[in-house]
Amino acid sequence: MNFLSPAFLAGLGALAIPVIIHLINREKRVVVQFPSLMFLHKIPYRSIRRQKIRHLLLLLLRCLALLLFVAAFARPWFERSKHTGAGSSGAREVVILVDRSYSMGYGDRWSKALAKAREVVGAISANDRATIVFFANEPAAATEPTADRTRLENALKTATLSSEATRYAPAIKLASDIVGGSNLPRKDIVLISDFQKAGWAKREELALPPGVELHPMDVSAKPGADAAVIGVVTDRTRDTSRERIIVTARVANLGAGPRTIDAVLDLGGRSLESRRITLAANSAERVRFTPVAIPATATRGVVRITKDSLAADDQFFFTVAPDEAVSVLVIEPSSARANQSLYLRTALSIGDKPRFKVDVRTPESVAAVDLDRRALIIFNEASPPGGAIGARIREMIATGSGLVVVPGEQDVGRWPVEWRSLLPATVGPVVDRTRDAGATIGAVDYANPVFEIFSAPRSGDFSSARVFRYRRLKVSGDSGIIAKFDDGSPAMVQRSVGSGRVVVWATSMDASWTDLPVQTVFVPLVHQIGRRVGRYADARQWYNAGNVLDLTRHAELTSPLIGAGPKAAGDSGRLILESPSGEKTRLSALGTNHLATLRERGLYELRGENTPIGAGRPIAVNVDPAEADLTHLDPQELVAAASAGTATRQTIDATMVPPEQQEGRQTVWWYLLLGALFLMAIETVMSNRLSRATS
Amino acid sequence: MSTRLDDATAVPGANLIDPTVLARIGNLELLARTVVDGFINGLHRAPHLGSSTDFAEHRQYMPGDDIRRIDWRLYARTDKYFVKQYEADTNTNFSVVLDVSKSMRYGASADTGRVSKLEYGAYLAACLTYFSSVQRDRVGLVTVEREVVDYVPSSAKHLRVVLQALDRALREGREASATDGKKGVAAAPTLAPPLRKLSEIYRRRSMIVLISDLYEEPDAIVDAVNNLRGRGNDIMVFHLLDPTELEFPFADSSNFIDLETGEKMPVIPEYLRTQYREVVREHVASLGKVLRDQRIDYALFDTSRPLDGALFAYLATRERLRQVR
Repeated sequence: MNFLSPAFLAGLGALAIPVIIHLINREKRVVVQFPSLMFLHKIPYRSIRRQKIRHLLLLLLRCLALLLFVAAFARPWFERSKHTGAGSSGAREVVILVDRSYSMGYGDRWSKALAKAREVVGAISANDRATIVFFANEPAAATEPTADRTRLENALKTATLSSEATRYAPAIKLASDIVGGSNLPRKDIVLISDFQKAGWAKREELALPPGVELHPMDVSAKPGADAAVIGVVTDRTRDTSRERIIVTARVANLGAGPRTIDAVLDLGGRSLESRRITLAANSAERVRFTPVAIPATATRGVVRITKDSLAADDQFFFTVAPDEAVSVLVIEPSSARANQSLYLRTALSIGDKPRFKVDVRTPESVAAVDLDRRALIIFNEASPPGGAIGARIREMIATGSGLVVVPGEQDVGRWPVEWRSLLPATVGPVVDRTRDAGATIGAVDYANPVFEIFSAPRSGDFSSARVFRYRRLKVSGDSGIIAKFDDGSPAMVQRSVGSGRVVVWATSMDASWTDLPVQTVFVPLVHQIGRRVGRYADARQWYNAGNVLDLTRHAELTSPLIGAGPKAAGDSGRLILESPSGEKTRLSALGTNHLATLRERGLYELRGENTPIGAGRPIAVNVDPAEADLTHLDPQELVAAASAGTATRQTIDATMVPPEQQEGRQTVWWYLLLGALFLMAIETVMSNRLSRATS
Repeated sequence: MSTRLDDATAVPGANLIDPTVLARIGNLELLARTVVDGFINGLHRAPHLGSSTDFAEHRQYMPGDDIRRIDWRLYARTDKYFVKQYEADTNTNFSVVLDVSKSMRYGASADTGRVSKLEYGAYLAACLTYFSSVQRDRVGLVTVEREVVDYVPSSAKHLRVVLQALDRALREGREASATDGKKGVAAAPTLAPPLRKLSEIYRRRSMIVLISDLYEEPDAIVDAVNNLRGRGNDIMVFHLLDPTELEFPFADSSNFIDLETGEKMPVIPEYLRTQYREVVREHVASLGKVLRDQRIDYALFDTSRPLDGALFAYLATRERLRQVR
């Protein structure tokens, strides 16, 4: 029974009032001086007792009437769906959720979980249906709903642990969907897990449909003690001879007692160094290894510690690759002004995250080799190269490279049509604003990746820059304006062409038309243009199990494989991703098949179709370090949250009846009120009779 | 109509006689005269003196008077005719025995204006004494509790003495009420000892009115009253009860304290009201029966009823009884 206005139940305290008054009256009698007690002595005691009993009945009637009044005001209602579901008998729809996250590998948890699952399967009757769902980061149904125990047990036999972390919410959601679609009267979800606290972010909704019961089965024994490598940081250092990296591993002791462990660094399959450290209870330490030379190609690295009860987090994989700069080709006219590209080159040469490699050519001097692995090409007031070079550049743009066009004094209208069709805007005449102290950049699109770093307050002031001359741009249909001058004329326009981007900058990149190059925002602006238009993505040294690899976002992985050269995958961009267990997945860096989920812990290899095994790009995948935290979650807390979620869902889902409506339909308060009035009527009759009898 | 009179009346005891009451009782002369000899003898006629040897007073001779009653000695001294008057032979002793025990003090309420049983009894005694005095009866008074408290011998001249004695008894009763309930438990007083003593005092045949609340068993009361009947006394028993003693209207659970004995009893009145009334009714019925069996007049007076109403009811009862006899 639920109450819509439970605050009224406080009125039950009023039940104490008649009792208290009765007690007070019993204790504090009035003193009456009476002439003689002679007659009172003659009254038999038995009749007094009978009167008392009648009055007690009267008191009970009044208390019951008061109780019904209070209950009526509290507006009770019954959750009928719940009662007709879980409470009734009949065939069951059971979903067995088995946690296969890597923390289940701790001790004998996995075997216990399978045993529990078999017990549940053994209890399935012929009329029941059961589904086994294994879950870690994501749930996956191992069987269809079935009453066939053999199929269910076979699914349990073939189950293996995953390298992913625990997430309860998606699993419960899938189980809810399965039982929600069932027409069987009883619906149960059995959750077999070690109940890690890290597996449930409390903001996640755990809504169970009405009538569904969640039965937790906890297979965690005592609190686990675990040591884990939870991260690796590589810092690059450059000495006189060559570039080196310093590997620093972060090792955590998640147990209640201190422990001494050995941490070993392996690089390229060779153990380079071992360190012994002592970790206090529930603490973490950094283990800094001796700097090592960066290998010439991407190399596998592992930091491993002494094995314990949970082996999955005792190794941490990572990759080390030579520094790969963003390659930028600046093409300026042969008759360029002095230092026309100076500001551009200088700005790009600053900083190393990422590092920009800038080459300057004229349209006439550009060779095919100059275009290899160029992420960004800038026409700095230069006309596009013609012939095969020009065609090659256009192909590069279509396959992901970026192009920045600074028209300057160029007569863009006379460019070949294939180039003009690439541009996001038609370049108009020069606007001279020298007479009115120059234009300012009046508006920028902070949502655009180029300008997003300037969105925070005091992160860059474009209004201080003066633009004295610029080209009037007329935007094409599918292009976007990401910056405007104060007169509304576009300052920067962009457009996607294939997988690449083309940007037109209306003024100059030197100080001839604008003083922007001497403003503080110039360097970050140029860097942002280089990163975003050049499609730069930070090279990831490792992924967590369960992460999705998007090849289009990681040119550092694909460009060595699909570029020119003997190891290239070819123009098709077809690649093979081989998991640590040897499972091969065909991917495409250019097509739609560019996503892969990295489910296994260890080192994947991404290679071209023609690339020999072992010569590809290694991709390190580690278990989620959060899963190493074996802190226990009270299963009842999860159950309570799921039950609370039911009520929440009831108010949202239009197909379910909200409590107010349920209460309104049931009108239990009305019956209670009638009952109370009936009792009061009986009480009135009784008390009148008693009153008449006594008077 | 209130039976309570102004205490500031000049004549002591006169406040006990409500003139309005007396006027209404005066209308009952024809009934009263035939009830008991000597009690309200000749109420409708002018009081007359008899021819006994008990000299009463002189009266100027009027034509028609018996010349044999002219006091010639006085004529010799005053040269005027005076007639000697004597107390009539039919006049008897009239004495009120008033119970002034603690239980009789019950019932006074300033809120409701009700009088206590003692006050009511005193008013009643005063009225009856006055009537008797008008009849030239010898009036007397005895107040009793455990023993005889006050004794006024019967005399034709003792009206004022009786009234003063009643006034005193009332005053003492009010003063004693203030200190009631502060004493230990005592035995309940009985009427037998003082009435036994009275039987030794009364040497002439008397009309005796016993005014009491009669908190004794009927047989004990009869035994006590029979002490007075030995010399042919005509006895009337006026039983006074407060309405609360009759109805038991109490609502709250209370500790009842016996005014006579000081005994305490926790009582939930609503539980016993019915039984109490039944017991009281049986007690009154039993009293009436046993007293009437002994040819003793008995009347129950509710102190909430007007005094004249009570007297009227009593006299009417006497009339009916006389006709039956």
